[in-house]
Amino acid sequence: MAQESLKQTAGGTGGFKKILTTEFYLLIFLVAILVVMAIAAPDFYSVNTIMTVLNYFSYLLIAAIGMNIIIITSNIDVAAGSIMSVVAIVIAFVGKTGAPLPVFMLVGMAAGLILSWVNGLFITKLKIPAIVATLATTQLFVGALPLVVEGSIYDLPASFTWLAFKAKLFGVLPASVVFAAVITVGFMLFMRYSRFSKKLYAVGNNIHAATLTGINVNKVMVLAFVIAGPLYGIAGTIIATGGQRVTTTMANGFEMTLIAAVVLGGTSIAGGSGKIIGTVLGAFILSLITPAMNYIGLSSDWSDAVMGGIILLAVIVASISTLTKNKKVIITPETGQPGAIAAAAEVK
Amino acid sequence: MDGNTQTLSKPKRKFGVNFNVALILILIALIAIIGAVNPTFLTYNYMMSVVVKNIMEIGLMALPMTLIVITAGIDLSVGSTMIFSAIAGGMAAASMGEGAGILVTLLVGAACGLANGLIIVKLKINALITTLATFFLFRGIAKGITHGDSVYSYEFTTYVGNKDIAGIPLVLIVFIAAAVIFTLLLSKTGFGRSLYALGLNENATRYSGINADRTLIGIYVISGVVCAIAAYFYLGRFTSVKFDVANSMNLKVVTVIVLGGTSILGGVGDMKGTIIAIFIIAVLNSGLTVMDIPIDVQTIIQGTVLIISLIVYSILGERAKRRRIIEVGKGGEPRLAGQAPA
Repeated sequence: MAQESLKQTAGGTGGFKKILTTEFYLLIFLVAILVVMAIAAPDFYSVNTIMTVLNYFSYLLIAAIGMNIIIITSNIDVAAGSIMSVVAIVIAFVGKTGAPLPVFMLVGMAAGLILSWVNGLFITKLKIPAIVATLATTQLFVGALPLVVEGSIYDLPASFTWLAFKAKLFGVLPASVVFAAVITVGFMLFMRYSRFSKKLYAVGNNIHAATLTGINVNKVMVLAFVIAGPLYGIAGTIIATGGQRVTTTMANGFEMTLIAAVVLGGTSIAGGSGKIIGTVLGAFILSLITPAMNYIGLSSDWSDAVMGGIILLAVIVASISTLTKNKKVIITPETGQPGAIAAAAEVK
Repeated sequence: MDGNTQTLSKPKRKFGVNFNVALILILIALIAIIGAVNPTFLTYNYMMSVVVKNIMEIGLMALPMTLIVITAGIDLSVGSTMIFSAIAGGMAAASMGEGAGILVTLLVGAACGLANGLIIVKLKINALITTLATFFLFRGIAKGITHGDSVYSYEFTTYVGNKDIAGIPLVLIVFIAAAVIFTLLLSKTGFGRSLYALGLNENATRYSGINADRTLIGIYVISGVVCAIAAYFYLGRFTSVKFDVANSMNLKVVTVIVLGGTSILGGVGDMKGTIIAIFIIAVLNSGLTVMDIPIDVQTIIQGTVLIISLIVYSILGERAKRRRIIEVGKGGEPRLAGQAPA
């Protein structure tokens, strides 16, 4: 029932309109990009390019899912990039000793969890708005790193870069993509069936109402950060293992791209709405922009502008559709038949 | 605490004044400590050419941003707007001459601000999202039109960026003038009051007859124009700029404003706090450099200062709220304080 009503508010009034969700438009847009690429630049569909795109997509998506969960609770995390930078350095330390992937990835996840947890506690215990709280911790994380490491950790062993260069399913598919697929499916199921995910939406939708229904709001918010932390850890691991040198600024600023992917995916920054599938599509579109522009002959110099334009376009379309919907509701009482449209929608 | 309604406004005022005094004391203490460790810091030359000059662009942008944050908005695109207008102006100057460069910089800044304002107000899109998108957009256009190359300073920007009048950098004079204008605008005009009203309750403000749309679009345009003015100084100071040099400037500006006591949730804050905070950050940045403290530690210290100020504001805000609830309730019983909603 709750799921049903959520769908209604997000997707329209029923019938055919039910299909016209943000996710649907995004999918159309994505298919359009892929078709254009097939016609204009068939070279784009080489195994190498696709795998490069998928690799970027995988870590962008994994981290963006974490960000999505935080944004659903109407918080935001601008420390995500710096957390991933910390994770990269931490696992480089562990990986330098020749430790295998499972060991340093778990260490990375733990590091992500702890740092993200600190953010969550900071926001809930001190009641500081998430954007400023994470802004402050970003400076601590970014500042602390170069104290521990001078510039970068290099000459990392083959066991460290194994994930990026050797770990391939059927010899082609990067393992990072498999991680992303497993995590995505896991979280889609989690968001659909777990009771906890309903609390995430409830807190984001109306924090006072959620408190009154007996939800421990602070706990839910902290848990959202605790869930996001290990996801940042995995994403940071994929980023770090991409080469033999890990620098202290590897993922700084990446949070902006994460937020962009989530917003493009139709999640409202005000909280209380948003689906994982939207984030998947948003992240995929963002990871296509630069390579697609390269292949189509447009200079990739414009990729940032195109990315900004796409985000803007997406939120404008979403806003206009809600604005027109609101107008309809206002018109109803004036026609003298209050609730006519609502009733009609129910019949459909 | 006696429940007298006459004291209702008193604690609020006291709280505001106290905090600015505290900020000034912090500033003086910082200058004293750093000066004691390394006296070069206190020389006039160092103060002017390093401490002040390095912060002025951020300082300028923080003034209109304070107005925006008071209305519960935010502008994350300030750094991109500055770079975009600097780059567009530099290119125009190179191909069409000085005058075009000056004009294009200003127009681009105003246009960026207008775009932000229109999207936020007319399309009712969250300011954070809008300016996040335009952060990428403006920077991206700057990157696109330069193909990632540098743009060079022209005569006018070189002049304003390096000019000293009677030993005082021109940028500081401009900043002081702007600071005075913005302080008066916020504290002495109806326009300023309407910004607080918008931040506290936008709907109520609209019903009270204030043209909220025009006010809000106006402050984003002001922000764009001030970014363009900062662009002249920035380009002149560095002789060349690339599209990505100001990537984290937006967050630095937000840091200044939060440190100055303006609530990111809107409705609370004043310009004096922002102005003092600008100089605290300036002294911290440059002062720690003369103390041979590595730049990374400076970042940590800046972060710590921000966190401490957030905690202090959070505690004081919470207390002020409780006090107000007691007074409104007229009971004055300490019990009520404990039951104040979080």
